[in-house]
Amino acid sequence: MATASRVLGWLAALGLAGGLAMGFGVAPRETTQGFVQRIMYLHVPTAWVAYLAFGVVFVASIVYLARRTDAADRVAHASAEVGVVFTGLTIAAGSIWGKPTWGTWWTWDARLTSVAVLFVMYLGYLLLRGMIEEPERGARYAAVLGIIAALDVPLVHFSVYWWRTLHQPPSVMKPGAPTMPPVILATLLVNVVAFTLLYLYFVTKRVELLRREQEARLA
Amino acid sequence: MSFARRAWAVTWKDVLVERRSKETLNALVFFALLLLFAFQFALGPDRDRLAQAMPGLLWLGFILSGLLGLGRTFVTERENDCWEALLLTPGDKSAVYVGKLAGNLLLMFTVEALLIALFAVFFNVDLSAALPALTLVVALGTVGLAAVGTLFAAMTANIRARELLFPILLLPVQVPVLLGTVKATEAVLAGEPLAAVAQWLKLLVAADLIYVVSGLLTFDFILEG
Amino acid sequence: MMPDNWGYVAAAYALALVMFGGYWRRLRTRERQLRTPPSRRRGR
Repeated sequence: MATASRVLGWLAALGLAGGLAMGFGVAPRETTQGFVQRIMYLHVPTAWVAYLAFGVVFVASIVYLARRTDAADRVAHASAEVGVVFTGLTIAAGSIWGKPTWGTWWTWDARLTSVAVLFVMYLGYLLLRGMIEEPERGARYAAVLGIIAALDVPLVHFSVYWWRTLHQPPSVMKPGAPTMPPVILATLLVNVVAFTLLYLYFVTKRVELLRREQEARLA
Repeated sequence: MSFARRAWAVTWKDVLVERRSKETLNALVFFALLLLFAFQFALGPDRDRLAQAMPGLLWLGFILSGLLGLGRTFVTERENDCWEALLLTPGDKSAVYVGKLAGNLLLMFTVEALLIALFAVFFNVDLSAALPALTLVVALGTVGLAAVGTLFAAMTANIRARELLFPILLLPVQVPVLLGTVKATEAVLAGEPLAAVAQWLKLLVAADLIYVVSGLLTFDFILEG
Repeated sequence: MMPDNWGYVAAAYALALVMFGGYWRRLRTRERQLRTPPSRRRGR
């Protein structure tokens, strides 16, 4: 596990370096937004990882309730924590991107809003985990919450999207518009892979830590 | 005992307890009245503004009363050391969930009916035309709210900071229900037909189904110990 | 055509560095704490 984690760490570092090089060196200046569009290579991959992380929490929670293996619980816990870090960064980067493009730090844009709802939802998840002393009960409750929260994600997504778009046409410049040039798409993909590797590195490291924490408690 | 009988036993017990103590309902009715005052003071006497904000205020009232009322779902069991008795319920525990959910729905509907009546009187709005459609929207939203609320109340019942944790867990999950009901209520109060908000009603039905089914399936894990 | 807004891009990437770096360092510190036996931990 430790070796796998180290390998993942180096791969992530390599990927991130490549992603940065592509984002700032290879990808051209975007025509409408200019230089500031390069925040996309940070914002979109972290948003993807956020959804991935909470998907992992969902699956691990189900596995935990079905099999009662501590490993599944540790994966759920680690993934939620790393996911919250990524979600927080997604919101912050989106907000920084929004200031020059939309003129405000925050608009209740559909995507930004649903990510913000996810953020508070999983912060609550971590809070619940921290407030229950007995590890077994904490794992069980967290698993239930992890499942409910994940099932809620599509509902949040649709409701927020309709809420913002039903009565007014989307006025924002959408990242990932259909006319994305191949260079930008390739850069985005490299960054998505790199950030996914970083996520995997963090999760394996956190899982290992949780295992050792448990051992220390039992010792 | 059949599933329905077991669920009914739980509901009936709660109704009896509530009828004798009147603890929760009395407090909630009083709370609803206070909310009305607070809204009035916050928005001032301008009637148009109040009428405009009414769908949101109405649901704010429901949610706040729900946070108070639903959070107390398992307080009787905890304070009277009956938690173990609940655990000893024969068969699978989803019957307990259904029973508690039914009791909560009863409580919420009572408070909501009262709040709507108070709103109509104090803010001088004529709701009679919109009432059937409004009832449907409120019912759909309340089922979603109570379904998750009952589950989370059980989850937080044995945590010291449960009054804090319960709303923190419940509110983000209820975002779709809140958005859907406020939008639908807005349209209904404006006199639009239900067909105009079919999309939101479908979302609410989907949310209710997802919440109730997942509550039924996961409640066993919460009442384990 | 919009102005370059260098600052915003720099801020976003710097924030990413701080957040990931901070999280990484937290994990490292915890790791080290667990590695030292509990009896010797107090001295540090």
